[in-house]
Amino acid sequence: MLAYATRRILATVPLLLIGTFIIYWLTAISGDPLLKFATCTLCDRSAYDRIIELYQLDRPIPVRYLNWVLGAIQGDFGPAISQGMAEASAVVFDRTLNTARLAVPAFLIVVVLAVTIGVYSAVNQYSRTDYAVTSLSFLGISLPTFVFALALQAGAIWLLNTTGWRPFYVTGMRTLASDGLLDMLRSHALPVLTLVIVITAGESRFQRAAMLEVINSDYIRTARAKGLPRRTVILKHGLRNALIPMVTIWALDFAALLGGSLVTETIFGWPGLGPLFVGAVSVQDLNLVMAVVMLTSVLVIVFNLLADLAYGWLDPRIRYE
Amino acid sequence: MRANAARGFGRQAWDRFRRHRLAMASIVVLILLAVAFIVGPMLSPYAFSDQDFTALNQGPSLAHPFGTDPIGRDLMVRTFVGGRYSLRIALLITVITTLVGTVIGAAAGYFGGAVSAALDQFINLFLIVPSIVILIVLASRYGSAPNAIAVVIALLIWPSLARVVRGSFLQYKEQEFVLAAKAAGASTARIMFRHILPNTFGPIIVNATLLIGTAIILESTLSFLGLGVRPPVPTLGNLIAEAKGALQTKPSAALIPGAFIVGVTLCANFIGDGLRDALDPTSGKD
Repeated sequence: MLAYATRRILATVPLLLIGTFIIYWLTAISGDPLLKFATCTLCDRSAYDRIIELYQLDRPIPVRYLNWVLGAIQGDFGPAISQGMAEASAVVFDRTLNTARLAVPAFLIVVVLAVTIGVYSAVNQYSRTDYAVTSLSFLGISLPTFVFALALQAGAIWLLNTTGWRPFYVTGMRTLASDGLLDMLRSHALPVLTLVIVITAGESRFQRAAMLEVINSDYIRTARAKGLPRRTVILKHGLRNALIPMVTIWALDFAALLGGSLVTETIFGWPGLGPLFVGAVSVQDLNLVMAVVMLTSVLVIVFNLLADLAYGWLDPRIRYE
Repeated sequence: MRANAARGFGRQAWDRFRRHRLAMASIVVLILLAVAFIVGPMLSPYAFSDQDFTALNQGPSLAHPFGTDPIGRDLMVRTFVGGRYSLRIALLITVITTLVGTVIGAAAGYFGGAVSAALDQFINLFLIVPSIVILIVLASRYGSAPNAIAVVIALLIWPSLARVVRGSFLQYKEQEFVLAAKAAGASTARIMFRHILPNTFGPIIVNATLLIGTAIILESTLSFLGLGVRPPVPTLGNLIAEAKGALQTKPSAALIPGAFIVGVTLCANFIGDGLRDALDPTSGKD
């Protein structure tokens, strides 16, 4: 298994090099850091030279990229120019903690909700609840994140304006006044709810399909025929197998969540990875851009691999050559 | 069942589709929305850039059913024109994605080998380097014009369709009718596009329909973030971006375009779902 995991990780290295180079190159050509100085009459030559030095503008892009790769291999992601020259990896680490404050609770709620909804509507296929749930999940996948987030904000503001009651904060991660548990709940509730609704809509449909496939299979009929109670058959024989294909989806969803939810974080003024990344792209802060890209890529690679390894453990028929 | 035998596949598919009430209703709603987007601005007394200085930043009223923006432009006509741009961009994305995805998917499925391996690597690349990352970088440089953003988005989402087409081609290329066509001396291109391709229309049409919804959501999200189509050209996404600052005083300005996005996407998804049931003779109701 260790050999398999090593091989899998090594196989991603060329792709990672190509992908990071494309992003490096596109970001580098997306603007000119010197443009701001073109109209600056107070700046002297030394400021100009400093910018050239900071952005390594005197070197061709492939050389800059190679330098970055050599640093990154040694764990040195360079200084983040747009963050007062702080270490890019340290900036990303701080923001990842903030992102995780939304990602972890959202992910846990999504898994519980999606499994419950998916299994219930599969077991009661074509019932009224199933139709209602299916329609709702259609609505969920047709609802862009930013529209739903804005609607939640508008609702919270309306509540405040009409009743003077303010159960939730519509922006920011914490208030200056206090950082207690209640305060945390009030600021986390709406962004977490946004993520939960949007992701649950898709995931519950996968879960429903997976469960349907299982309960229509022969061994479930056998289990029922030999007289096992319906509950045992569904939960022990059915659900366990219907969860296996979900492992990959959970892994990818969790990796995506931890990589930063750009829209949700932007709308709720959350100091996470998403807004950091867009800001870094817009000022061509390459070290910071690449640090975020590396984090999101590594998350996807690692969680994907973990999901595949979990397959072998959950389903002994699966072997790794 | 006997009645079935007398009907062709197209007729059967149509009959199955017609029974899908939500899909039928969605077609009607989508047509109405498209007509409103195209005809609405012509009937309106205002142009989308006209300013009415006597009615700045108003909520919905008789003269301005959706209200006005802070510089007195009528939001109803802006929403319709924005809807027209958003729909046009989404259709363009769908057309490009379908053409590129079909040709590359067909080549990968029929020839296998290097083309297929390259497609796999391309899909893996987007799995490892999240496509939203590339989308942001590309859109922030090239994406400010409606056609440019369409090309940028299409370039990122075609692999999923290519994979579907490749799957269908793999399924058909070993069948007897292909062998017969080969024996009769048909050229490779003729076999691919005259013999195999028509069999794969079902999944292609279903995916193309579902793509409309994906495309509208992607475009409006990018425009909302300020990375897509920029004012003065209105799209549903940048209308919401303009209105989000006034969420406290005038939520309707953001929520109405939002409702239109949800409407179009929901219709496209329902139609796609109905087509999936109708075009796949082996599928049950699910």
